[in-house]
Formats: sequence, structure tokens, C-alpha cells
Amino acid sequence: MRRVGSIVFVAVVLALLLLPWLATPALIQFGTTTLLLATLAQSWNIIGGYAGYASFGNSVFYGIGGYGTAIAMVQFGLPFGIGILLGAVLAMFFALLLGLPVLRLRGHYFAIATLALAEAMTGIVSNLDIAGRNIGLVLPLRKGDAFFYELSLGLLALATLTVFWISRSRFGFGLIAIREDEDAAGVMGVNTTLYKALAFLLAGFFSALAGGIHAYWITFIDPVSAFDITLNVMMIIMAIFGGAGTIFGPLVGAVLLSSISEVLATEITGMASLFFGLVIVVAVVFMPRGLADLLRRLPGLGWRYFRENLWLHRL
Amino acid sequence: MQPILTVNHLTKRFGGLVAVDDVSFDLFEGEILGLIGPNGAGKTTMVSLISGTISPSTGKVLFQGAPIAHLPAFRRSRLGIGRTFQLMKPFPGLNVLDNVAVGALFGTGGGKRHLEEAREDAAHWLGFVGLGHRERQRADELGGPDRKRLELAKALAMNPRLLLLDEVMAGLHHGEIDEVVCVIRKVQNRGITVLLIEHVMKAIQSLSDRVLVLHHGTKIAEGTADAVLSDPQVVDAYLGTRRV
Repeated sequence: MRRVGSIVFVAVVLALLLLPWLATPALIQFGTTTLLLATLAQSWNIIGGYAGYASFGNSVFYGIGGYGTAIAMVQFGLPFGIGILLGAVLAMFFALLLGLPVLRLRGHYFAIATLALAEAMTGIVSNLDIAGRNIGLVLPLRKGDAFFYELSLGLLALATLTVFWISRSRFGFGLIAIREDEDAAGVMGVNTTLYKALAFLLAGFFSALAGGIHAYWITFIDPVSAFDITLNVMMIIMAIFGGAGTIFGPLVGAVLLSSISEVLATEITGMASLFFGLVIVVAVVFMPRGLADLLRRLPGLGWRYFRENLWLHRL
Repeated sequence: MQPILTVNHLTKRFGGLVAVDDVSFDLFEGEILGLIGPNGAGKTTMVSLISGTISPSTGKVLFQGAPIAHLPAFRRSRLGIGRTFQLMKPFPGLNVLDNVAVGALFGTGGGKRHLEEAREDAAHWLGFVGLGHRERQRADELGGPDRKRLELAKALAMNPRLLLLDEVMAGLHHGEIDEVVCVIRKVQNRGITVLLIEHVMKAIQSLSDRVLVLHHGTKIAEGTADAVLSDPQVVDAYLGTRRV
């Protein structure tokens, strides 16, 4: 069983690596978007899934990463590699600066405060000359979708390896303890403030890199799309659909939901979002803990699994 | 003997309510000090002040001679102060073994570095409190008595020098109380100092080297169990007048 698992794993990785040479341009573009979304879902997983802090501010880091890259390339003529790193450093700086006060809030209050950050950033960036105000910036063009696809794949691999390490490290256990009971975690010796800040920092780092790749790929960035809150909602839905606090859940969630959304958009254009909404509602009602939990417990429980979840919702 | 813990004129106010009012006492290395008093006397507040989940309004707490009242909870636990919670706080989504492993990974001196070592440690402490057969179960699937044992194992895995036990026997039946009394004896034999909050007088009498009584936040008696429990003031405030 283990052997079969690793063969499948290697096959999937190989297929993903070779996709740009085998697929149509449309599929490569869809792949790049999905990989970036999966990276965002995975980085949300660190702060939201492991530390249990439902951040609505991750799209801020994504936007900062994009703007950092754009400003470095357009205003200072720096190469992409340096630009994206500057964007990531800037996002990490913001994660610390904003995280230390905001991470003191718990539950809904944390979510609301981070939501406000996204709105504030749109306002601030729209008034910065260096960021092209509300018009935005046009980045230099780089041809070849394969480059962006492979870059996104590499980033997703890096984020997933990080989460893999987290899941079996002392740091990760500290985060899980914070999620499960923050007071108990503190009394048992977890430096909760530091750990939460580090989780936010890591989430910011990966989100910013995704934002940088996206801006360079699309060659355009503007305040409204860079700090779009819908993107943050997407990453949360994807992470939870697949299984927050697991290693592969957010990836599976991102791939499945992206695919469903894409198929719906091409097959039944007009009503696509209605059906997509239906998928989300059904998923939340019948498998609130995500696919990972479903796969783990369905074989043992059978139909009882769904009954228990309905009971959980008091339906 | 050197006190491991000194509480010096400690006061905690919640708005107009004085939960702990100018309380002082010493806790000596290796002893078990029973802390009793009626509900609302300030016992849990005292434990929270020592463990650092709340900070005092005035007064000092010294641990091994150094002031700790200004330190956050996690620093105190690294110095060697472990506690259980009366309203138990398991990590519900983790299995029993990993709940205890968190204690081993952090705790005194920063704990173990590696998960495998921590899990070995956790398995040892689960055996110690008689919960070894539940390792793989999720913590939120445990019943009340087993949750009490889990609280104890989590605190012990931190390898504390001082253990604050907040009603670990509440809700247990006689046989289970005797088991926990045995476990606490074993804890003391390992040289761990214990502050024991309990309403179960049988346990207080058999375990405590000394007993301290709180009432409305103030200390009304301190001494050996027999002396304190026959003190008229204590009988009046806590035990109730005996009808002959």
C-alpha cells in the first residue's frame, strides 16, 4: 500500500513537472493559476490551519509581494529575482508589524481586524505615486508560460515542504497547541506570541512570492485586484475544503475547486457561480472538516459520518 | 530548609472584587501543601497568579529565590512550574499521546527538541497516571476521570519542579481517588513540590504536610492538617458546624 502510494506520488510529481511540454497553452495557464492558488491555500494553512487564526489578511501579503516586485522592476529597473525577494521581505516586515498587535485578538475579532487591513491597504496604495496610484503599474513582458508554471510549481513544493516540516516539528506542535487551547499552550511553555508571529511571517512570505510571480506573469498590477478580498476567501475555502491543518489538504482542495469552477464556467457559463456556491454549501454541510477528515473516517463510519456532521450543525 | 516558592503579600482585584487579599506563605522543597477553602475563596486565582495566566495587582511571587510575578506564563513553565486546570483544558483535536507530548516538547528548560523523544516521554507519563491504554484516542473522546488523569500527565511531562494541582480529584469515585493519591505520592517521591487544591478531605489529610485555608481571599489558617481542620474558624467558614 505504501509502495503504491509512493509510485502514485512520484507519477503525479513527474506529470506536473512535464505538463508545460505536453499540454495546451490554456491548460498551462489554468495550471499556473491553480498552482498559485494552491500556494496561497497552503500558506493560509500555516496561520489558519495549524495556528488556528482565521486570517483575512493573507491577500494583503499577496498584494504587497506583487507591488514589491512591480515597484522594484518598473521604478528601479531591478531584475525579477531581486524584485520578488524585496516584495517577500516587505511582506514579512508587514506581517511582523501588523501581526504583533493584531495577533493579540482572538477568534472573530482577529478575522475582522485582518479584514480591515486589506481595505486599508487598497486605500494606501491607491495614493502612492511610486505604486502608480489607483491606475497601477505595467511590468516588463516575459514570454513563455512554462517559466511561470515551473516557478509556481517550485514555490508550491517549497510551501508544502515547509508545512511537512511544521507538521512534525516542535514548532508545529506549539502552533497546534495554540489552536487547540491557547491558555493551556502558554502554561505548558509555548511562547505563544512568538509562535503566532512566526506563523504569520511564514504565511506572509509564501503569499508574497505567489503575488510576485502573478504580477510578473500578468504584467500588470492595480490596487483593487492586488488586495482583492475574494482571493482571501478563496484560499480559506480551498484549505478548509481539502482539510485545514493537514499537509496535502489545501493542495487537493485548490486543485478540485479550481477544476470544478473551470468546468462549470465553460459548460454552464451563466449559472456557474450558482453551482459553485452549491458545491461549497454541500461540502460545508456534509464534510465540515474537509476531505482529509472524510477520507480518514468514512471507511470506518460509512453513512454515519454524514449523519454525525449533520448533527454537528444541529440540522 | 529553603522555600522553593514564596508568596509575599499577594493581592488580586477584579474590579471591586478582591479575589486574593494580602496572602503570604512559603512552600518548601519536596513538600505537599494543601490549599483548601469554600468555593470562591480564591484558590484557583492563587494558582493562576503563581502559574502566570493572570498577573497580581500587588505583591510578589518568588520562585527559587527569584521574582517571577512579571514573567509571562510560558517563561514560568520553563523555570519549572507546572499546573493543571480545574476546568480541564485538553487539546481536543490531538490524540492523548500528543497532548502529553506537548508538555514534553516545551515545559521546564524548554523541553525536548525532537518529537520522537517527546512521544517516548509522553508514553512513560501516561503509564505513570494509568492512561497508557488510551494513547491513540482523541482527547475529546475521553470521559471525565480520564480527562483528569490526562491533565495530570500533561503537567508531569513538563518535568516540573513545582506542580500546582487544581482539583484533580473532583468528580472521581473512591477507588479512583485512591489511585490519584497514590500517583501524587509517587510524584512527591520524585522530589517534586506540590500545591494541592482539593475538596476531598480524605486526600488532603493523607497527602498534605501542611494545609493552608483561604476564605474570601484571605488566609485564615495554616498548619498541619489535623490542627487546621479542628480550628474553630476553619470549621465555621468551610467545614460547617458539627451537629452532635
